[in-house]
Amino acid sequence: MLTIENLQAGYGKVQVLHGISIQVPQGKIVTLIGSNGAGKTTTMRAVSGMIKPTAGKITLAGVDITGLDSHQIAKRGLAHSPEGRRVFPTLSVLDNIRLGAFVRYTKARPQGDIESDLQKALELFPRLKERTHQIAGTLSGGEQQMLAMARAIMLNPEVILLDEPSMGLAPILVEEVFNIISRLKGEGVTMLLVEQFAAAALKVADYGYVLENGRISVHGPADQLKDDPAVKAAYLGG
Amino acid sequence: MKIKSYFLIVLGLAALGLFPVLVPNPYYVHLVETILIYAILLFGLDIVVGYTGQVSLGHAGLFGVGSYTAGVLFFKLGLPFLLAVPAAIGVTAVFGAVLALPALRVTGPYLAMVTLAFGTIIQILINEMTFLTEGPIGIKVAKPIFFGHKLNEVEYFYVVAVLMVLALVVVHRILKSHLGRAFEALRDSPVACDCMGVSVYRYKVYAFVISAGLAGLAGALYTYSEEYISPNTYNFELTILFLLAVIMGGRKTRSGALIGAAIVVMLPSLLSDINLFRVIATALAVGVAAMAAYNLMRKTRTVRELAVPVLATVAMSVFSFQLENITDWRLTIFGLMILFVVYYLQDGVVGFARDFLARFVRPKTHASVGSSNANLRRWTSTHTNASAGTGPLLEAQQVLMQFGGLKALNRVDLRVMPGTVHGLIGPNGSGKSTMMNVLTGIYQPTAGQVLFNGHSVTGQTPASIALSGIARTFQNVQLFGEMTATDNVLVSLHHIYKSNIVDVMLGTTRYRREDAAAREQAASLLDFVGLTAMSQEQARNLPYGKQRMLEIARALGLDPRLLLLDEPAAGLSPADLPELMSMVQKVRDHGITIILIEHHMDVVMGISDTVSVLDFGQKIAEGKPADVQSNPAVIEAYLGSGAQAH
Amino acid sequence: MEIFLQLIYSGIALGMIYGVIAFGYQLTFATSATLNFGQGEALMLGALVGLSLAGTIHGGPYLNYWLMIPLVAIFGAAQGALVEWIGVRPAIKIKSEFGWIMSTIALAIIFKNVAENIWGKDDLKFPSPLSEAPIKIFGGNVLPMEIVVVVGALAMMAMVEIFNRKSIYGKAVVATSNDRDAASLMGINTGAVITFSYALSSMTGAVAGVLVAPLTLTGATMGSVLGLKAFAVAIIGGLTSGVGVIVGGLILGIAETTTGYYISTGYKDVPGLVLLLLVLAVKPAGLFGKMAIKKV
Repeated sequence: MLTIENLQAGYGKVQVLHGISIQVPQGKIVTLIGSNGAGKTTTMRAVSGMIKPTAGKITLAGVDITGLDSHQIAKRGLAHSPEGRRVFPTLSVLDNIRLGAFVRYTKARPQGDIESDLQKALELFPRLKERTHQIAGTLSGGEQQMLAMARAIMLNPEVILLDEPSMGLAPILVEEVFNIISRLKGEGVTMLLVEQFAAAALKVADYGYVLENGRISVHGPADQLKDDPAVKAAYLGG
Repeated sequence: MKIKSYFLIVLGLAALGLFPVLVPNPYYVHLVETILIYAILLFGLDIVVGYTGQVSLGHAGLFGVGSYTAGVLFFKLGLPFLLAVPAAIGVTAVFGAVLALPALRVTGPYLAMVTLAFGTIIQILINEMTFLTEGPIGIKVAKPIFFGHKLNEVEYFYVVAVLMVLALVVVHRILKSHLGRAFEALRDSPVACDCMGVSVYRYKVYAFVISAGLAGLAGALYTYSEEYISPNTYNFELTILFLLAVIMGGRKTRSGALIGAAIVVMLPSLLSDINLFRVIATALAVGVAAMAAYNLMRKTRTVRELAVPVLATVAMSVFSFQLENITDWRLTIFGLMILFVVYYLQDGVVGFARDFLARFVRPKTHASVGSSNANLRRWTSTHTNASAGTGPLLEAQQVLMQFGGLKALNRVDLRVMPGTVHGLIGPNGSGKSTMMNVLTGIYQPTAGQVLFNGHSVTGQTPASIALSGIARTFQNVQLFGEMTATDNVLVSLHHIYKSNIVDVMLGTTRYRREDAAAREQAASLLDFVGLTAMSQEQARNLPYGKQRMLEIARALGLDPRLLLLDEPAAGLSPADLPELMSMVQKVRDHGITIILIEHHMDVVMGISDTVSVLDFGQKIAEGKPADVQSNPAVIEAYLGSGAQAH
Repeated sequence: MEIFLQLIYSGIALGMIYGVIAFGYQLTFATSATLNFGQGEALMLGALVGLSLAGTIHGGPYLNYWLMIPLVAIFGAAQGALVEWIGVRPAIKIKSEFGWIMSTIALAIIFKNVAENIWGKDDLKFPSPLSEAPIKIFGGNVLPMEIVVVVGALAMMAMVEIFNRKSIYGKAVVATSNDRDAASLMGINTGAVITFSYALSSMTGAVAGVLVAPLTLTGATMGSVLGLKAFAVAIIGGLTSGVGVIVGGLILGIAETTTGYYISTGYKDVPGLVLLLLVLAVKPAGLFGKMAIKKV
């Protein structure tokens, strides 16, 4: 569904990614783990068009999306829940979720039944259902994370990019978030998950890639990577 | 100075001196006199616009203040030229200060609007305060009298010429000095400038006041030149003309100011002759079309990029044949010129000429300056042999940093012992950078305090904290990109200069001594980090690894006791890391205490004596690297629960 | 007392015009962090185009006043889009603040000069669609046109508010103001949103121009000082708050009409300008706005 080939990207003079290749098959959850500064978020941004790759190719459902602007990539069915959530702080929960379906309202993507999908999203995130009219900026970190995920689902995307959903969340909320990711897995969602918390990510994913200094150092089925000492070394050195 | 420069200067002075002799027509003498007067003002405006990068829409107002001060002093008090002119400079500088002090707390469009308001108010006041200024009637002035002899047109021309040359020399000296570097630094990176001990606000005010003084001088000279002044001269159109002159001539150059002045002074005369205008407009259209064709053939530009200038110049040329009178359209011409210069000629005529000539001249390789200087003193910190006290050098006590509802730092204690490398690690969002910003004064903590060497530095400005001995580098490199490596380091050595602006203007011995000392220090610092060969390179052209080294050299210029390194390894290739680590150790060996924020575990664990771990804004562990690495709480913080079973 | 009330009413009408122009500044600043230094000129061009359509100056009248307004609105929108395309978009692309400041100033100068050449340098009288006989409210005189100004200004601002709240496109505009990158991820073409906000900003300015024109003299110079003073109002209101501009506008409008009468007309522009200096010196974020803390 999503294929990343030899991706190189960076910021100005700093090249962060030195040619990485990742495959996200349909209906699977693939996780990209690694310590900070390794380039995980840079990868997500390059895929969703927030930054332009300097080399390499990205294909979504057979369509080459390398170098396109983010709004064009969103129209082709890629939903990105960015690092730090980035909900729209002055809009309500409901408005935020509706904006996730913007490309469906404008018929850039098949419209389907937006209202019914909205109800389904609220069922999936009961905390949001309780607060549909609350202004998003006043939500807690965990609630904002739910909102960002609901927003991404509303696009009815081919692939969801989920960037560090656990960041800044208390452990109990992290658990809740990963439960939801499991549920989505059960519904056949295709997802690329970037996480700092390797353990939780590898538990819920089908396949994993370890990013170190802008290169993939190790990859394999998630349950095999879990016990690999290379993973711990990538984070804590030694 | 090079022979070529000497030659050009002598040529220029000769041309200036001989001009009234070769061209005795008083109309042209007066025209060139006006150009020289405008140039004086533009030297000052360039400091504000070209160097500090701010837009000032109020300089016609300052020009008016200078003009009217001289005019009123002549008219009401009969003061002679030699008193009226300095008075005009002083009064305008005061007005400049009164405007700058509140105005320069804001930037960009806010500053532009404030200066515009100021300019408008000045014009209104000049018009309405008839008891002082005679209002719309204006004031008549006579040429100055020196030793009983009233100057004629040509003699006054020489007076103006001499003053212009003096102004040029003075401005040149100021801009080449530490003041000029401060102006550029505050534009390139205000936060780094403050953190190197150079207060951005203060120097913005200095720049503005200096430009006001020059505007005052220009205004006073203008009064005597025109022999009649009235309020409607000092309007928005004049301010725009000044700005157009600066950017069209070329920012950051004195010759640009002269060229720009020439263009705008001659522009109205050019525009009053419709035939001349038609010729020039057509020539321009042909020239632009030719360049466009050239670029298209060479494929350096796309059709879309070239369409606008080609269409615009052709349209202007066609339009000029429809008109009988271009004077009514002169403001449109000015507007179009501004648009043109802003997007296509960003470096002005001077910049364009320089780039153009550069194609024909082989690029000079920068002479490696200091590599053969065997007398270069090795850099040492003044703290190398300082006795390490028993208490902590830096102590953060119960620091709370709250942004709205989010507690970025939740009552964190930190004690950093002198002479150590103290690592600070933690997952994303744990508060490390926030702590860095609190320690350097960029954020004021919501609660708690920070003690440095026993004294509280909580609530001090970044510049004052820097000067008390805490230096830093930045996660996203904050070098002064357009300045050379040497100049970057010289900014942090600003504290060596005790000279004031008069010392700079006169080039006194004290100033030259301090400058030599600072440059020597800068050279040793660059040598210390291994950048001697690149000392004359622009900072933004250095390879990334070297940029990091330059930031360290610059920080050391403050002669700090404590150096904060914010993710110095970020973006470095594995090959660069050993050099970084040995640099950190070298600095530590010179007696400087270091706090190191890093994600790169090999780096941090490899060189730290102590490591503190933050998570969710709280300290969760502290101790020797090996202990911290095997601490279960730390492992959990990084890898998540369920990961310690290894 | 009668005169005082009359000054208050005139001040309210004037203030609403300031408010609308300031509102225009906010619209573009919210989505793009830029503003149009020629905002006052948008008002001026609207008034003059309206005059040509509804007045006799260019062989008209071609339309009556009320039918002319939508055409002026369309003109205003086109003018705003042009300013964005020529002056702002290239500057945003090269991330140059100096760029859009200077180019919107340049465009303002050009518009004013073009207007001088088409409509002349003198001020013109704009025919009032309503009777010029004042109505008495609580003892003070109000011109019917002044009431139209207040109603019209409030209506425009209200319509934009409703658009923002009810329509998905309006929400997309607010989203772009909140977080441009995140809005892009939703599939929102933020470049088009910015063009739209400039078009809307000039449109409201142009309509404000035809509303205020019958009350004052119409000419090529009417926009410049208005634009500058309205900036003071925008700052007072905080460049991010809607209610603030109405309050700020009223304060300034009333201050001006009372100064002009009780002190002197030559100085009537001074309160606004001094207010601008004071507000920026004391509280640059305005009374209602918030200052963003920059992360380093």
